[in-house]
Amino acid sequence: CSKFRRIEKSADWRVKYDAALNYYNNKKDYYKASVLFEQIIPIVRGLPEGEKVQFYLAYCQFYDKLYLLASEQFKTFYETYGRSSMAEEARYMYAYSLYESSPNANLDQSSSKDAMAAMQLFLNRYPQSSFRDKAIEVIVATQEKLEKKGFENAYQYYRMRSYKAAIVALTNFKDNFPDSKYLERTYYLVISSEYRLAEQSIYSKQLDRYKGVVDHYKEFVDRFPTSTYLSDAEKMYGDSLAKINKSKNNNL
Amino acid sequence: QFRGRRSGTATNAPGENNLNYANPAEYTIGGIEVTGLNVLDKNAMVSLTGLKVGDKIKIPGDAISSAIRSLWKHGLVGDVTIKVDRIEGQTVFLNITLSERPRLTGFYFTGISKSQESGLKDDLKLIRGKIVTETMIRNTETGVKKYFIKKGFLNTAVKITQQRDTLNRDGIKLKIAVNPKSKVKINHISFVGNEAMSDAVLKKKLKKTHERPRFALHRTILNSVVNLKPKEFIDSSYKVSPKQLKEFFSQNVKLNIFAGSKFIKTDYEEDKKKLLAYYNTKGYRDAEIVSDSIYSHSENTINIDFVISEGPKYYFRNIIWTGNYIYTDKQLSAVLGINKGDVFNRELIDKKLQFNPKGLDISGLYMDDGYLFFQIHPVEVAVAGDSIDIEMRINEGEQATINEVTITGNQRTSDHVIRRELSTVPGQKFRRSDIIRTQQRLGQLGYFAPDKIGQNLVPNPAKGTVDIEWQVEEQSNDQVELSGGWGGYYGFVGTLGLTFNNFSLRNIPHLKNWKPLPVGDGQRLSLRMQANGRSFQSYSFSFTEPWLGGRKPHSLSVSYVRSLSRYAGAGATSYNDLNSGIKADNISVGLGRMLEWPDNYFTLTNSLSYAVYSLKNINYGLGCTTCKSYAVTFNTTISRNSIDNQMYPSSGSSVSLSLTLTPPYSAFNGLDYTTATAEQKNKWQEYHKWMFDAKYYLPLDSKKKLVLEAKAHFGFLGAYNKEKTGIGPFERFVLGGSGLAGGFNSFVLGKEIIGLRGYQDNQITPPTYAVGNSTSQQGGVVYEKLGLELRYPVTTGNAATIYGLVFTEAGNNWGTYENFNPFSMYKSAGFGARIFMPAFGLIGLNWAYGFDPVPLGSRGPVSGSQFHFTIGQQIR
Repeated sequence: CSKFRRIEKSADWRVKYDAALNYYNNKKDYYKASVLFEQIIPIVRGLPEGEKVQFYLAYCQFYDKLYLLASEQFKTFYETYGRSSMAEEARYMYAYSLYESSPNANLDQSSSKDAMAAMQLFLNRYPQSSFRDKAIEVIVATQEKLEKKGFENAYQYYRMRSYKAAIVALTNFKDNFPDSKYLERTYYLVISSEYRLAEQSIYSKQLDRYKGVVDHYKEFVDRFPTSTYLSDAEKMYGDSLAKINKSKNNNL
Repeated sequence: QFRGRRSGTATNAPGENNLNYANPAEYTIGGIEVTGLNVLDKNAMVSLTGLKVGDKIKIPGDAISSAIRSLWKHGLVGDVTIKVDRIEGQTVFLNITLSERPRLTGFYFTGISKSQESGLKDDLKLIRGKIVTETMIRNTETGVKKYFIKKGFLNTAVKITQQRDTLNRDGIKLKIAVNPKSKVKINHISFVGNEAMSDAVLKKKLKKTHERPRFALHRTILNSVVNLKPKEFIDSSYKVSPKQLKEFFSQNVKLNIFAGSKFIKTDYEEDKKKLLAYYNTKGYRDAEIVSDSIYSHSENTINIDFVISEGPKYYFRNIIWTGNYIYTDKQLSAVLGINKGDVFNRELIDKKLQFNPKGLDISGLYMDDGYLFFQIHPVEVAVAGDSIDIEMRINEGEQATINEVTITGNQRTSDHVIRRELSTVPGQKFRRSDIIRTQQRLGQLGYFAPDKIGQNLVPNPAKGTVDIEWQVEEQSNDQVELSGGWGGYYGFVGTLGLTFNNFSLRNIPHLKNWKPLPVGDGQRLSLRMQANGRSFQSYSFSFTEPWLGGRKPHSLSVSYVRSLSRYAGAGATSYNDLNSGIKADNISVGLGRMLEWPDNYFTLTNSLSYAVYSLKNINYGLGCTTCKSYAVTFNTTISRNSIDNQMYPSSGSSVSLSLTLTPPYSAFNGLDYTTATAEQKNKWQEYHKWMFDAKYYLPLDSKKKLVLEAKAHFGFLGAYNKEKTGIGPFERFVLGGSGLAGGFNSFVLGKEIIGLRGYQDNQITPPTYAVGNSTSQQGGVVYEKLGLELRYPVTTGNAATIYGLVFTEAGNNWGTYENFNPFSMYKSAGFGARIFMPAFGLIGLNWAYGFDPVPLGSRGPVSGSQFHFTIGQQIR
């Protein structure tokens, strides 16, 4: 019977409490600490230790990289002890744990979205918080992640040469992320998709699509006059104009 | 509750402290006192209220009542009173009076068994250390009752007593005294008023409410004999109709002892609905249960009497379509498939309109075309006598275009791996068939639980678009193969195989993303080791990227195989002196792609391989016993696969034609083949090999369960220049047995192994060998195999696919083209089973009887009764 086992079996919650604090503060064994904290939480609720236990338990799980669990515990903390001096930190840590739990941009981003919303709420509530800069950092980083995901998803259609889908997806991206760093490239890709789609199209639809190239190009030039994609885009623009003129002549 | 101190108002000046509900005033909290505490902490309690010294609150106001509520919410205290202690100017001092509640320190049951107790404990969720409340006790009581009622103990009595815990201050123990009494069973169910349906039919419709089993025939007969009324039974004067006979038996006999006869209220209510639903499907639209009385028959049995009013039987008359512009009345009626005069059945209409599991339905017709906002309302417009006219009011709406497509739930698999499989593409018209197809394709990937793949459609009628969110849930589909077996000559053979079906090369350097391996890019990595110590070893590695470049499904695969077998050959000093052997190394790179022409079932694969065979002290027909032989081969395979289900194919076919070529060295190496040594001749292998495989699946019943598989296989091995080189010993065909290249009976290297059940592994070889090289080589240059297999599945669920089969097959191979005679074949027949489980792959066991004797006496009996064990999908 190990020492930990003995503590676990102890009937006196104070023994567990002291041992858990020891594991937490001195030994940094967050797993063992969290096991003990979890056991005494129903008993200490309403006692002066209750607040501390809840807070430490959340941190134990955070340090153990169980970010989703930790976020739930931090949430429980600030919902229970809303006026505690640690509530601010708990709210921040709730959002931060969600942020930490979110995987790479090419995987499910539900928790990123939750994290961003939570951080925004945090900033609204504590505009002068000492965590302010970090919170803003997290929001920006999450925004970038979502942007990256959005762009890559739209770009995949371009890569797979489904230009029709690419136009829809890239246009959606423009609407969803109007100040993205990928915007210049997105504008260019829309022109390129439209142009390639026109090339593949049957004659009756070609004219419309070449006109689309011209319209999108104008928008692009006005917005990014010094773009590195300009020369490529210009070529497609010139080509499209020529095709349009030629068809006009044919119709005359 | 909030109590302003009346006494305070009385003593103070009236204008100073007038708490008025009509006129709340704002105060600053100057202090909070808590009284009535015993164990609980003052500050903790104050922090739970959400009030704080220095807060500005309105009195009377929300803050106080929400403080009381949040104290109660935690269930720590029984009574809460917040009083205004005193008011000094704009500052208020509050006093919270609490009464603490005892905590639960333990509970125990009386009157029930240990097993019931443990089942109950899971159900009840009594947590020690919680505050004991009325609700907790009530919930426990109903919880216990529910638990027993579910098991048929309808009269369960529960009594909960609170007992002071002598060990713990403020603790309470609960004594839960349970008396389940006896089970209540249904003795008899009777019906009154049913004319169209017999009692027995109606009883059958009560799916979960059954009578208890009985056999009272003997009693009835005995009764009539004792009462001297045998005439009733042996009276030939009147004819007993089959219906009467049935009634008689249903009165006296109920033999199904497996159907429980417990009375469970919720099931009973469900069953009543089912009874009416059954009447409705038979045209009795007005059927109702006038009354159902449940009364006790004996102490622990009850009877149920139904009084039923059936009402008239209705029929369909006219079906009128309105609002349809895209499809004509005739087209819609054809899909609906209901004719004038058919028995009225509301359920049938709903099925044919909304979701028909067996074929087309009306919404499907529209949805498939993108009419996502389509609506249909069947309205009974006229009821004349027993005929009903129905008007189908249709609102076709606009054709929806797919706008955004998102994916959620993919914790391991990258977006692009999923997205490339989606048939729902932005900018396309919405079609339900695309949804179904996508669902199938995502399921086939194997990365997701197939029954958890869902989609959330968010239509936007204003824009005429729909957003689709694909919801997935990851599952593991890596395979581990760990097996050991006794393999004839080689003794014990162990196998370790690992297949990762969702590997990611890209993620290898990013340790953070390992879960627990680098996953998510849909690549396939497979490692396999097979060995029995020194005499046989085989190592293989293969890697496949299914979408090279991410643009189109062009696959790249790289593989490396090294195998060696050693044995005691000529000149060996003992059985353990493994002085002979053959070692083969093979590396190959292949590119595959789907073709769009002639149709999209075609695939084309090209691969390049390099193989080295090292011989040591072995006569392999090369003319040298210790030397090396090399092969550079190019293979191209064109195949068409339209099989509907990989695990249990029930329809479709697969055809494949493959050609393997080596460079024609003899044409340009300048070697004089008349004088060259055998070693020189065989240094670079030279052949061309043609393989043809075809399988066809024919479902024999409507559910596509009983399936016939027909297959035909041919192979030809040839030389470019027969005069110079002849056909070498490599890549020849060997038939017989399970067809496993690494079968337990022999590990033959450099041969094409083809299974033929009913004969021993690899024993069907031509009796006379090719001229020119050597007389000890084995294997034919032409082979043929035909087979028929009849399969029936036991289960085709997600957890496992199991099916049984009977088969007959025939095959042979020939050493020269002159001897080739497609009608002389070795025939066999037998039966077996296949089991597929995701973690282990496909395993098969067959028994077969080989009918034809093999004309090589020295090899012993190789035909007759044989067992065969197989692993993995057999190609041939």
